[in-house]
Amino acid sequence: MSLVSGPGRGGTSAGAVPDELKLAVDNHVKYIQSLDTRQDELEYWLTEHLRLNGVYWGLTALHLLGHPEGLPRDATIDFVLSCQHGSGGFGAAPGHDAHMLYTVSAVQILATIDAVEELDLRGKAGEEQVGKYIAGLQNRETGSFAGDEWGETDTRFLFGAFNALSLLHLLSLIDVPKAVAHVHACANFDGGYGVSPGAESHAGQIYTCVGALAIAGRLDLVDRDRLGGWLSERQLPNGGLNGRPEKLEDVCYSWWVMSSLAMIDRLRWIDGDKLTQFILRCQDREQGGIADRPGDMVDVFHTVFGIAGLSLLSFPGLEAVDPIYCMPKAITSRILSK
Amino acid sequence: MTSIREHQYTVETLELTSKLLRSNPEYYTIWNHRRLTMQHLFKGPGSSERSREQDHDAIVNLISDDLAFLLPLLRKFPKCYWIWNYRLWLLEESTRLLPTAEARKFWQQELALAGKMLSLDSRNFHGWGYRRTVVQALESTKLSTQEPINSMAEQEFEYTTQMINSNLSNFSAWHTRSKLIPRLLNERGADNEARRRFLDEELELIQRALWAGSEDQSLWFYHQYLMSNFDPKYARDSMVPDLTTDERSKYIAQEFDRVQEMLDGDEDCKWIYQSLIHLSKLRKGLTAEWPAKADSVRQWTDELLRLDPLRAGRWNDLKSDLDN
Ligand SMILES: [Zn+2]
Repeated sequence: MSLVSGPGRGGTSAGAVPDELKLAVDNHVKYIQSLDTRQDELEYWLTEHLRLNGVYWGLTALHLLGHPEGLPRDATIDFVLSCQHGSGGFGAAPGHDAHMLYTVSAVQILATIDAVEELDLRGKAGEEQVGKYIAGLQNRETGSFAGDEWGETDTRFLFGAFNALSLLHLLSLIDVPKAVAHVHACANFDGGYGVSPGAESHAGQIYTCVGALAIAGRLDLVDRDRLGGWLSERQLPNGGLNGRPEKLEDVCYSWWVMSSLAMIDRLRWIDGDKLTQFILRCQDREQGGIADRPGDMVDVFHTVFGIAGLSLLSFPGLEAVDPIYCMPKAITSRILSK
Repeated sequence: MTSIREHQYTVETLELTSKLLRSNPEYYTIWNHRRLTMQHLFKGPGSSERSREQDHDAIVNLISDDLAFLLPLLRKFPKCYWIWNYRLWLLEESTRLLPTAEARKFWQQELALAGKMLSLDSRNFHGWGYRRTVVQALESTKLSTQEPINSMAEQEFEYTTQMINSNLSNFSAWHTRSKLIPRLLNERGADNEARRRFLDEELELIQRALWAGSEDQSLWFYHQYLMSNFDPKYARDSMVPDLTTDERSKYIAQEFDRVQEMLDGDEDCKWIYQSLIHLSKLRKGLTAEWPAKADSVRQWTDELLRLDPLRAGRWNDLKSDLDN
């Protein structure tokens, strides 16, 4: 899966008004499918550090677009397993070191295509060991999580751990109450959350913290009205959302803000129609793909978050997305009810 | 690449990783290899023959050189997480391997680096985060040269004042301020009188700021934070925890008058209406009575719906909340 941006640009074609409101489903599918055929481009190799994330983004986008068969299942499983280490962790691509971020993507991919049991069948380490790798990154004193053995901590990694371990039914391997207390210590006066205690609120970190609390069943700790107020102020007059005050709008922030609002039941606090139109303006309707904002190059990262955002806004024809996991709702419901 | 695959940890490997990282600093596995190589070089060749003194100088040189190698990369890729992580790891190695005073010098320089970055872009997320991490390290017992530890709360608070004075629209600075205030008051051993004076000064500061920029949401968020001091729900964490109900309602009345005054000539500023409603609800919660006629509160929500249709769902919720 290539993380190369382009070839298309968002919103470059000046179509008539009705076209503006359409989602170019077929072209987005083709765009995602074409990504892996671009190995002759230098940028394909320069973005190798994101490859496994890229597969998760592309696969999720295809599922939400109603084309779950869009990527070959066997080849996907082979690629995921080729990124695994004996420790249970996964790297971004074969030969890259294991890290929380890629391990989470690996679990999400396997869960999406109902192939988690492949870990036990032919992985370098089984399901339980994947859980142990993740659990081993928790700091048992502070409850926080590191990204890898080198120790950087960030609420993104804590959320990743909750996300993957809940999909594997292995949350019991970690100290959930300590982790929850750590998230709570990251709360700020505006109701938002930062990367660590003391850090400024940021829509991306809010998504990870609220998501972790949602998985732990502790949304009671969230100051919903205050957080909802701050998040709703992320919407700008052009309909797009930014990630912090005084910043530019961006499709990926639309997702983080919107999914957080959905988790605290405040999605109605922003203008969904205007946001829908903003996301649609960011797509390249001819060549497929979605950009961060109109006029910029498209990429698979903004493509999945744009489509997931539209799904959360109940855009017709899309599969429902789970705001916590950013995976098809039908799939997370099936796994979590097991 | 072979030397990396074969896990060789030499000066040559270090140079190779430099080359690779200059062209692609996102290549995190190469950063990890560089860490392993550095740890190998810290140990030195056949260390038994060398004096401790030499080891120490060698480590200082290795760390200085590596910090210097990172500078142009940070300038070119200021948003790349891996570079910042590696830099922090290097500094932590200095804490681990060097005498406290020596390691402190390295960390101290980083404060200047963070300051320089923030003077170029006063909202740089990494810049503020980095500054906070460096301050935390300098305040930690591991790097402390005195008892009790050297708190930097006063100095950092002063820094946020400077940043705010040069540009009011700096949410990062207001945020940092909110985090420093409780510590500052505790460390000063502030009594109730001193705490009230402090609160009054913050109220003055934000009023002046709001008059200069009534459309600036950063300021209103900070104003909302200050108003939590008068909300029993947040009293435990407030600047003056022992305010009486009577004092709280006096403060609320004072703020209410100040904000209402802003309305004159600024009738299309939604934040003013929002604040007036918030203050009215606070007052109602404390004394069970509205500070103004209940009709006005309803009128203000209508103004919000008129001025801010994007968030109509929120204002409608507020409206039905007022009806209950
Ligand atoms: Zn983005």
